[in-house]
Amino acid sequence: MREPPEGAALLAIAREVLRKELLPLLPADKVYAALMVANAMGIAERQLQQGEGPQREEQKALAALLQTEGALESLNREFATRIRRGDFDGDDEARRLLWESTVQRVRESAPKALSAYRDRHGSSKMSSPREESTT
Amino acid sequence: MREEQKRALEHFLAGRAGASAVRIDDVHLLSGGAIQENWSLTATMKGGRYDGILECVLRSDAPSGVAVSHGRAQEFALLQVAFRAGVTVPEPLWVGDASVFGREFFVMRRARGTASGHRLVKELNLGGDRELLVERLGEELARLHAIRPPVEGLDFLRAPTLSPALQGVKDFRNFLDGHRTAFPALEWGLRWLERHAPATPELVLTHRDFRTGNYLVDETGLTAVLDWEFAAWSDPLEDIGWFCARCWRFGRFEKEAGGMGSREALFRGYARVSGRPLTREAVFYWEVHAHVRWAVIALQQGERHVSGQEPSLELALTAHVVPELELEILNMTGGRHA
Repeated sequence: MREPPEGAALLAIAREVLRKELLPLLPADKVYAALMVANAMGIAERQLQQGEGPQREEQKALAALLQTEGALESLNREFATRIRRGDFDGDDEARRLLWESTVQRVRESAPKALSAYRDRHGSSKMSSPREESTT
Repeated sequence: MREEQKRALEHFLAGRAGASAVRIDDVHLLSGGAIQENWSLTATMKGGRYDGILECVLRSDAPSGVAVSHGRAQEFALLQVAFRAGVTVPEPLWVGDASVFGREFFVMRRARGTASGHRLVKELNLGGDRELLVERLGEELARLHAIRPPVEGLDFLRAPTLSPALQGVKDFRNFLDGHRTAFPALEWGLRWLERHAPATPELVLTHRDFRTGNYLVDETGLTAVLDWEFAAWSDPLEDIGWFCARCWRFGRFEKEAGGMGSREALFRGYARVSGRPLTREAVFYWEVHAHVRWAVIALQQGERHVSGQEPSLELALTAHVVPELELEILNMTGGRHA
């Protein structure tokens, strides 16, 4: 068994120290670098929080859509090829899958960006308040 | 900058300016530019056309430059053409080769002001009246777009073999085919760009990186349009779409012209000088194109880190802007799941 607290929790507390205690003391020309460090830690933290679940779900949904088995990477390649060929023009199921997998990636990489889409989209599949506060 | 580089530059400046003596009083590296290095130079010139204090910027490739954009001699030529056409750019002065500075470079007059997009959208004292600024930027683009091929000195710019819209689709797909992972949402956007591609009646000189962050303003308004290394013959609306694209508004999404002002003001300035009215519908295509193009550039920048070639936190984080660009692409092209 791993020693708690684990990665995500460690990143969260380390990031708080960076932002609250170190950032105010940095000279102006180092602030941008510190903010980048905090941003990178946030992305890593959210990836750890999310775990592999969403990737497995994406793989299952893609396999069903494409009627073929395979690793997520090769399914994505196949999906891309068929989109380019026009196989999914106007296809609702393909659209739904693309939107959801993209939302999931934004949730990890840039959760603040989701709020602009939430109002028009309904809140159920969008970021939680927790994610909003972590960037 | 090393002492011998400084001496060589003084000699170079004296020769070009016809000065009897030149002394570089101050030289320091300016921030920004992963591909180029910009040095601020202040020199005392004795005699010649520039007698007195000359404030200028030396622009060279960074030591680890990548060959994705034009070289410095080419950028100098573009600057000259834009300057002569009345576009507000730093006055191009002289171009120099590697024997002087170790790398190819050019010297331009230093323009005052601030370019940072993050500062511009927050500090409202910069840039003067924002609607007037945006209108002025429209006028600048119209002056640039009055330049049509062929132009002497710009022979290195090749015209696209396909229409600019379809050429973009082809180039982006070529890149994605060689990339380590697939991007279905970008493919969705590319399919839309392919199906909606407009014809370009006439190619014009375009800047292709004309956005907030790439022009300087002071308290009164625009002082210079910068960063000409991506200029090409293309559809004029490519520049308008890039400027208005949501991803270049620095969070001020309601200010549709670069996060700075209204789209109407930009269009007004453009139409006044060009005589050509713009429509939202026609520009929209190029806003979608802008998101796809920025996503591809972000992937290329991220790859420089991922490949181990150039470890950099900034490059690593650039790859992480791709998902939000993809979401907006889906949103714009009917790929949003309601």
